[in-house]
Amino acid sequence: MLKAAIVGCGKIADSHASQMLRIKGCEIVGVCDRELLMARQFADRFPVNRCFSDLTELLDEARPDVVHVTSPPQSHFGIAKLCLEAGCHVYVEKPFTLYEKEAEVLISLADRKGLKITAGHDDQFRHAARRMRSLIQSGYLGDGPVHMESYYCYEIGSSGYAGAILGDPQHWVRKLPGKLLQNIISHGIARIAEYLVGESPQVITCGFVSPLLKSWGESEIIDELRVIICDEERTTGYFTFSSQMRPELHQFRVYGSNNGLILDQDDETLIKLPGARLPSYAEKFVSPVATAGQYLSNVTNNLRSFLLNDFHMKSGMKYLIESFYRSIVEGTPVPIPYREILLTARIMDSIFAQLGARESQAKQYQSAQPSVPQL
Amino acid sequence: MQTMKETPADDFIAGPDDLILVTGATGFMGSRLVAHLLDSGFRNLRCFARPSSAVGRLEALCNSATGAGRVQVLTGNLLSRDDCMTATAGVAVIYHLAAGRGEKSFPDAFLNSVVTTRNLMDAAISQQSLKRFVNVSSFSVYSNMNKPKGRLLDETCPVERNPEKGRDAYCFAKVKQDEIVSDYGQRCGLPYVIVRPGYVYGPGNEGMTFRVGIGTFGLYLHLGGSNEIPLTYVDNCVGAIALAGLKPGVDGEVFNVVDDNLPSSRSLLRQYKKNVRKFTSIYLPHAVSYLLCYGWERYSEWSQGQLPPAFNRREWHASWKKSRYSNHKLKTRLGWSPKVSTVEGLRRHFEACRNRGQNA
Repeated sequence: MLKAAIVGCGKIADSHASQMLRIKGCEIVGVCDRELLMARQFADRFPVNRCFSDLTELLDEARPDVVHVTSPPQSHFGIAKLCLEAGCHVYVEKPFTLYEKEAEVLISLADRKGLKITAGHDDQFRHAARRMRSLIQSGYLGDGPVHMESYYCYEIGSSGYAGAILGDPQHWVRKLPGKLLQNIISHGIARIAEYLVGESPQVITCGFVSPLLKSWGESEIIDELRVIICDEERTTGYFTFSSQMRPELHQFRVYGSNNGLILDQDDETLIKLPGARLPSYAEKFVSPVATAGQYLSNVTNNLRSFLLNDFHMKSGMKYLIESFYRSIVEGTPVPIPYREILLTARIMDSIFAQLGARESQAKQYQSAQPSVPQL
Repeated sequence: MQTMKETPADDFIAGPDDLILVTGATGFMGSRLVAHLLDSGFRNLRCFARPSSAVGRLEALCNSATGAGRVQVLTGNLLSRDDCMTATAGVAVIYHLAAGRGEKSFPDAFLNSVVTTRNLMDAAISQQSLKRFVNVSSFSVYSNMNKPKGRLLDETCPVERNPEKGRDAYCFAKVKQDEIVSDYGQRCGLPYVIVRPGYVYGPGNEGMTFRVGIGTFGLYLHLGGSNEIPLTYVDNCVGAIALAGLKPGVDGEVFNVVDDNLPSSRSLLRQYKKNVRKFTSIYLPHAVSYLLCYGWERYSEWSQGQLPPAFNRREWHASWKKSRYSNHKLKTRLGWSPKVSTVEGLRRHFEACRNRGQNA
């Protein structure tokens, strides 16, 4: 029996608990939230032994084996560090930390203490994503990825989560170094980071506030981002985050020297792009039929998973938690290599540094402009 | 018909110059309540709204209606204890309408309904001037599970004891909000009244209540059948809320708000189609909708939430079981009567729906 605890009882904690309860041999021994009422409402809805508003009390009294950190990102580093120091394995929701330096400290602390740590990049463990990984590992692409395109879009409305951020100048998301982007893009960046070979990819960033947000009076929240990632002049990647483009894609396209693949997270489909071309008119007729057959096969896969009761919206999270727990209990490798977590953090650091530098340059430029005398 | 203007001010626990706080003041009901209080001669209002709310219309309303009165529009976040202290400073009556409405997530709904209410009450009880805290709740908190079909649903009916089992995030948060308000009343002596409106309709909320039916995949399933629909027109509802904050001798009481001459679900749907837009609907008899809800509930349990338990027997009992409703307590204890008849209310509502081009 693995004793688990959850720190931070917001929306994502519900997803964690729902998936943890589906895992045999897992017990939630305690939950903690700085606001005790939040911990109690959680315990009203899930089988939880005890509620805490103080992390050290949770660690001392509930003595969990593993802690899931589901609090706002600003607190991830401090909470995860305390948990590791107390001898607990740690699952940290995305974004793993605010800065790469913090990620390095946590990973090295976990290593020193003989503990395991992982990041909440659960989208990479959904059904289609796992099929994609298997294909790539089997050499379907050829020598490995030549180019990747990762789309991770987000619809911003005036209500709900985004509305709360846009309307509240004190919202915690605004206080993140990368603001809204930092809370969302790590899923899409991690997809690229998984297949980069080098340790220091070149990152070129372009980001801006969309005209829609500007029309709402927003000047801080960047909601359009394009990134070019170049890995030692071997593998390249494009990352796109957009609040405006439709469809609101969550897609990963990867092209190798032989073949390519398209993963669509929303449709839960994986389409093979054969590199060999068919002769003449066959390309116009045979290829579309073959692609249609692939879509049909995806439908069958999805239906089979649904009928086997393995098609939950957060199936990736269950798989990741289960794999992480297995790595703890059986000593197998962690599901997400530490190198990938660090590389994701490094790329994100670079993106936000460039966006920040551009923002301060723009401010300096504006303040340096001579004022036009009013006639 | 008795309106507040006809009621002498000395019948109320607050005078025209006592400070009244309205939270959620830019919302559908909040803005109407502010206008109602101003019309009724209250001259010292503080309107609290989220920073993201459009306060322009409220400010214009206050400027045009107050004359010599003091109306303050305050933006802030009820999750901030400092903001709550600022909002409650010197208040005599608090109308607490702000809530996590429309939230699908349980933690978000709870945070924006219960934690905010706790913060507001903590700040309010530190004010010596507080005379009444009006908590605006909802009909959705009632449990209809063990009530015989057709029985009256009034203030004596039990509230959901386990809203986490099958009821939605809004119901869960509202039950917990009512619990914490009652608890503060008992433990801290908070002078509170709870108001539970039925479905509040009128211009500004042009939808159709799910008690009539639900639209899915382009199909409208009519589930209400001959059920009475607990409607209250927005102006009637804010009239009741206003009185709940001012009438003496009702501390600790709960008031349900429904209008007179409530239409049946079938009649309401027919009128909607006639006055707003024609569309095809399919009537599901109660036995069929109950069985479908039961089947969905069992599948959701078996599959460990592969389909979320959106439809289940608790929800069916609360939303589609035949019940009767009463405003007797509201009339006898608060002296309330609906200012707008249901016929007139529906006429205005349908007109607003047409103007908005809203679909069922």
